Amino acid sequence: MTERLDRRRFHADWIAQLIGIAFFVYLFFGFMLLPCLNTLTSIFREKNAAGEADPFAVIRFFLAGSMGSYVWNSLKLAVLLVITVNVVGISIVLLTEYFDIKGAKILRLGYMTTMIYSGVALVTGYMFLYAGDGMLTSLMKNAFPNFNASWFSGFSAVLFTMTFACTSNHMLFLRNAIRGIDYNTVEAARNMGANPFKVLWKVVLPTLIPTLFSLTVMTFITGLCAMSAPTLLGYDSINPEIVRLAGSSTADESFPQARAALLSIILAMFTIVLLTVLSAYERKGHYLSVSKTKAKLQKQKITNPVANVIAHIYAYILFIIYMTPVVMIIIFSFQNHSAIRGKKLDLNGWTLINYIGKQDYSYTNDRGKVKTVVGAISGVFSNEKTLGGIKLSFLMSALAAAFACVIVVVACNYIFNKKHKKSGVVLEYALLFPWLLPTILICYSYRVYFNSDAVWYVGNQNLYFKENVRLLIVMAYTVTKLPFSLRMIKASFYAIDEELQDAAKNLGASPLRTFLKVKLPIILPSVLAVFALNFNALFTEYDMSATFQSPEGTTYAMVIQGMTADATRGANMNALGRRCASTVFIMIVSGLILYLVYGVGSRDLGERLEIKNRRRKRWEKLRGKTNKEGKANTQA
Amino acid sequence: MIKLNNIVVKFGDFTALHDINVQVREGEFFTFLGPSGCGKTTTLRTITGFIEPASGTVVVKDRDITHVRIEDRNIGIVFQSYALFPTMTVYDNIAFGLKIKKLKKDEIDRKVREIARKVDLSDEQLAKAVSQLSGGQQQRVAIARALVTGPAIICMDEPLSNLDAKLRVQLRNELKKMQKDFGITTIYVTHDQEEALTLSDRIAVFNKGYIEQIGTPNEVYNFSKTEFVCNFIGDINRLSDEVVRKMIDAGAELSAENHNYIRLERMHVNEAPKPGQITLDGVVEMREYYGLYIKYYINVGSQTVKVIEKNDGVRIYEEGQSVSVLIDPRDVMAYPPSQEAEVGA
Repeated sequence: MTERLDRRRFHADWIAQLIGIAFFVYLFFGFMLLPCLNTLTSIFREKNAAGEADPFAVIRFFLAGSMGSYVWNSLKLAVLLVITVNVVGISIVLLTEYFDIKGAKILRLGYMTTMIYSGVALVTGYMFLYAGDGMLTSLMKNAFPNFNASWFSGFSAVLFTMTFACTSNHMLFLRNAIRGIDYNTVEAARNMGANPFKVLWKVVLPTLIPTLFSLTVMTFITGLCAMSAPTLLGYDSINPEIVRLAGSSTADESFPQARAALLSIILAMFTIVLLTVLSAYERKGHYLSVSKTKAKLQKQKITNPVANVIAHIYAYILFIIYMTPVVMIIIFSFQNHSAIRGKKLDLNGWTLINYIGKQDYSYTNDRGKVKTVVGAISGVFSNEKTLGGIKLSFLMSALAAAFACVIVVVACNYIFNKKHKKSGVVLEYALLFPWLLPTILICYSYRVYFNSDAVWYVGNQNLYFKENVRLLIVMAYTVTKLPFSLRMIKASFYAIDEELQDAAKNLGASPLRTFLKVKLPIILPSVLAVFALNFNALFTEYDMSATFQSPEGTTYAMVIQGMTADATRGANMNALGRRCASTVFIMIVSGLILYLVYGVGSRDLGERLEIKNRRRKRWEKLRGKTNKEGKANTQA
Repeated sequence: MIKLNNIVVKFGDFTALHDINVQVREGEFFTFLGPSGCGKTTTLRTITGFIEPASGTVVVKDRDITHVRIEDRNIGIVFQSYALFPTMTVYDNIAFGLKIKKLKKDEIDRKVREIARKVDLSDEQLAKAVSQLSGGQQQRVAIARALVTGPAIICMDEPLSNLDAKLRVQLRNELKKMQKDFGITTIYVTHDQEEALTLSDRIAVFNKGYIEQIGTPNEVYNFSKTEFVCNFIGDINRLSDEVVRKMIDAGAELSAENHNYIRLERMHVNEAPKPGQITLDGVVEMREYYGLYIKYYINVGSQTVKVIEKNDGVRIYEEGQSVSVLIDPRDVMAYPPSQEAEVGA
């Protein structure tokens, strides 16, 4: 089928296409392939002590030295995390969606708190409670003097924190899968004599296996690529070591850069293998429900009273684990610095200073003199450093989230055009490419590759130099968000009925007008949702900016991380309080975004018009009432 | 009005339309009927310009529009899915084409409200989102949107297939009335023979990219030109060789070489033959009660024939009852065996 075009329109189309292709070639080669290839080859470019080229020096070093322990540590974390996260993740989903547990709605809210704070915000939150001087640890130590105060460090702390931090995906995907189960199949099994646990084991769980498999692979990769928890809690896994090596120099140790490159390549290899396994499994096809009239899942009562009590106790213990950090952080974000330091709630110590405002701090020094530090106590929105981090993160995240969306929308519009079948597939794979690589590898590659003025295609500018690094971070953010954006936005393009385009064409609309007036409004809610989710993830992102490790690129999460360190006597007194307030601020931002995406954004035009109508009626009624009252008053 | 001259459409190696020739008269309700994949929608899309034919011409009002752009053809279309823009209100959907034509705002408003009134859409409905309307109302919006720009022709691609049975019948009547009121030349695509028979002035029956017959509903039903058409339209009995021979023996001018067919309502149970008519003896095997009529399955020895009798309360025959079946040989449609009977849908 060929569609006839005007010669003029044909030329405009052709030029636009050429510009588009040039842009994507530039993006793929310039910001995906070349920097990463440079990292890969750098492993083999090292020289030995005699100054001769020795391509296998780093590999020999790896095999002989202790470098393998980082890989081993990461693998250990990933494997154990798969077990613990699945146990907790499946538990919380079953407890809120499958079994009839009293207070399931409240429990669900508690289990979902990890969706509004993660990464550095979450880890520092856990540290606030469990670290050596943390609240709960101090409490335990007071109660049991023999209690090991440093229990929350290293491997066990990372595993504990990440077990509860990484269940968000279970709450999203496994919950959807379990809600999609046809209840008639459960009833059929019960009718044939199976008890609830047998039904769970034989009927329900098998249908969840594809989702569980994906979640397992995702959790494994998360464990392998863990960054903020091992860094903050002190565990020698791959990513923190890459960041350390990237900042090191040959004067201190043997070829640190090449070692960092090797570690990131090892990480990439694991990721590629796992994702290949996952996509091969996904391609094999899933258990599809054959039911045409699905019945809604009804909650199962646990008939055995003992099991029922145990299930309730288990559910509420998990709830306490999830909720305690959140509640404590919220409460203590409104407490003054002495209460926070003493880890004791002070009913007279309520303050907003951790959020806004500045206060001086006076103390008596060793010589008995009273000293005053001006502005030692300051709130999140009054502290220049914090505010700077927020502003920078806000700007970079918004820019990158928008870039990723625009790039993907343009690409999808091209991919979904029937004329570009083959080149569309090539473009799609190019945009999915960053998915195969750990974000740390991409950031590390950028840091090394663009830290030179010899890269001609960026105008021979050193992009790692001073403020330029911000551009580099925005590029890294954009590139790493492309695969997710593509998967989500592509799905929304399927919703555009081909007949809609034909209808617009028939009514005289040009391709551009059809895109702007017909297609874009249809996909816009999804695009905005992807923008919001991208922004949400990037705004509190730590792993990437930590890899860049640049003073000009100090993001909000890095500032928060810094707040653990500088709460010393006299200066910066309320760093911990500001950290609590920061976490609360992040929770509010994330919560608002999730509400906008899933609450407001999912409404279609009909629902929006209905709400508008209802509001108008309510307003008219109110106005009518006040008018009447007004009249009555004047009459009176 | 519309002339399709020797249209051939190819998709790669596959030829979807073979030498299609159709002439549609001004103001006519013309239907393309056939099973799925027969080429009826492809023909429609060739007229509207979504498909460019490999050869042949599309002529409208003596103007060759084969290579004219879609938007310049002045042909409205109502899609199978209605293709209403979900992010626009009903008003904006209807106004879309007028806005592209850059009409003045008040003129757009006047035209939209005028057409809305004609297709029976209220002001309140105009302010709604399309998703808030029922299937029937959505269809009226699609028609209004196609008509508001004042096209010379309107094309409809299975516009009733999305609706439930009762609404289909109701809207079918409304559609016909609207077409009469507007007096617009209409090309209608459907695979539903009942729809085609009740709505159309003329029908083109498609099969595997060829047109088998063009004619009025009565012509295609009672004088089906090919074995495919007679099989595709309505229910029919193919008479066995033995029955045909019996009829020849009784003086009918039929050939046992041919494939001979007779419609269900053209046979009668227990009626006395008039000159030229013959009867076959049989036994009622099964009875299907439809209310308006009753369908009998009668074993006449070598085959079971289906016969329809009006449910007039007089003649009701029980299963197992011996009856006679009356046939008028003039009602038999005969086709030479070279014409393969292929019924698609």
